[in-house]
Amino acid sequence: MRAGTIPSTAYDDMPYTRGGTVDRAEVGALVRSAVDGDAAAWKALVEGLSPLVWSVVRAHRLSDADAGEVYQTVWFRFAQHLGRIREPDKAGSWLASTARNECLKVIKGLRRLMPTDDPQLLDRVSEERTPEQSVLDSEEAASEAERIRRLWQEFAELGERCRQLLRVLMASPPPSYQEVSAGLGIAVGSIGPMRQRCLRRLRARLDAGEAL
Amino acid sequence: MNGMYGDGPDAFDAFGQDPFDDEEFDDQQGEQGDDGSEFDDALLEEELRQAAAILDPVPAELRQVAMDAYALYDMDARLAELTFDSLVDAIPVRGALDVPRMLTFTAGELSVDVEVTSEGLMGQVMPPQPAGIEVLNGLQALRPTTLTADAMGRFTSDVPPAGPFALRLRTGGEVVVTEWLRA
Repeated sequence: MRAGTIPSTAYDDMPYTRGGTVDRAEVGALVRSAVDGDAAAWKALVEGLSPLVWSVVRAHRLSDADAGEVYQTVWFRFAQHLGRIREPDKAGSWLASTARNECLKVIKGLRRLMPTDDPQLLDRVSEERTPEQSVLDSEEAASEAERIRRLWQEFAELGERCRQLLRVLMASPPPSYQEVSAGLGIAVGSIGPMRQRCLRRLRARLDAGEAL
Repeated sequence: MNGMYGDGPDAFDAFGQDPFDDEEFDDQQGEQGDDGSEFDDALLEEELRQAAAILDPVPAELRQVAMDAYALYDMDARLAELTFDSLVDAIPVRGALDVPRMLTFTAGELSVDVEVTSEGLMGQVMPPQPAGIEVLNGLQALRPTTLTADAMGRFTSDVPPAGPFALRLRTGGEVVVTEWLRA
């Protein structure tokens, strides 16, 4: 078993077929293999579910330092609980839910420490440049880079609810609605309609910007 | 089912999270009505997914930490679950700033009370008994600080845990590890 094989198999070739129809049997099988000592299965789980954990953490607008610590705590705890997870097929939801709980604890701890709770303090943007970002700097990619930056900027200026929801939905591979629900504490049934509204709101912002 | 999530009953449902159907969605002015199709929505979401992969990916060093975390999987150790966390279960004291974080971990008959402050940590193993205790601290998990609980089960450390930490207790031939937690 190789790392990197999960996304396509675990999430199927129809990323928008969500809300319970996506086959999670592969995730369950990987969890069971990892329980039996298969390090490659663990690696595959990290590859396939890391972006979901990171997206849930990012949706909660923690500082980079706090976000990194929550992310690590979630994976340490997952390793600890590996043999005790009752529904291996729902490992993604387990991770998303654990990430959410840890994020809320951080926020609660900060509120306790900072009487004047300035949300701007929690909204630092990473200064690190990834190889992909460097590629964007090349001249031929300039217009593509501009398009992506503008999309990201308009996304960042959406209301809190939409920003949170879309940040989790844009995990790669696309999360199931159960995972989104676990990561944000919202009902599965409300995700579809909210997603539609938020995406159309974002499109309206992009269209309005082009018209200027 | 709650036990699956490690932290017991979800104490956060009401915390700072108003229902999503608040006034943010009352304003319908900007909506596209029936103009936007599900296909367009899917396309836009996919563009966001690409943007996130470029502008806000999982940092490589964090991904590596998650890979290495498999070493923490230990079938032989008993897991002491977090059963009390003052951050969640206690009523905040008005005006008190540097309040200690009080934690209780439970594994069957055995429990460990831990108090974390900016000065370090102190705790007690219950029922009282001597124990060797390793403080596993995030990336340094492979080089833990070691403490000793006295006959009363009491232990102290003048180093506050930074970031994720767990305690590994060796007592009476048994190994017990507390749930990982961010101090």
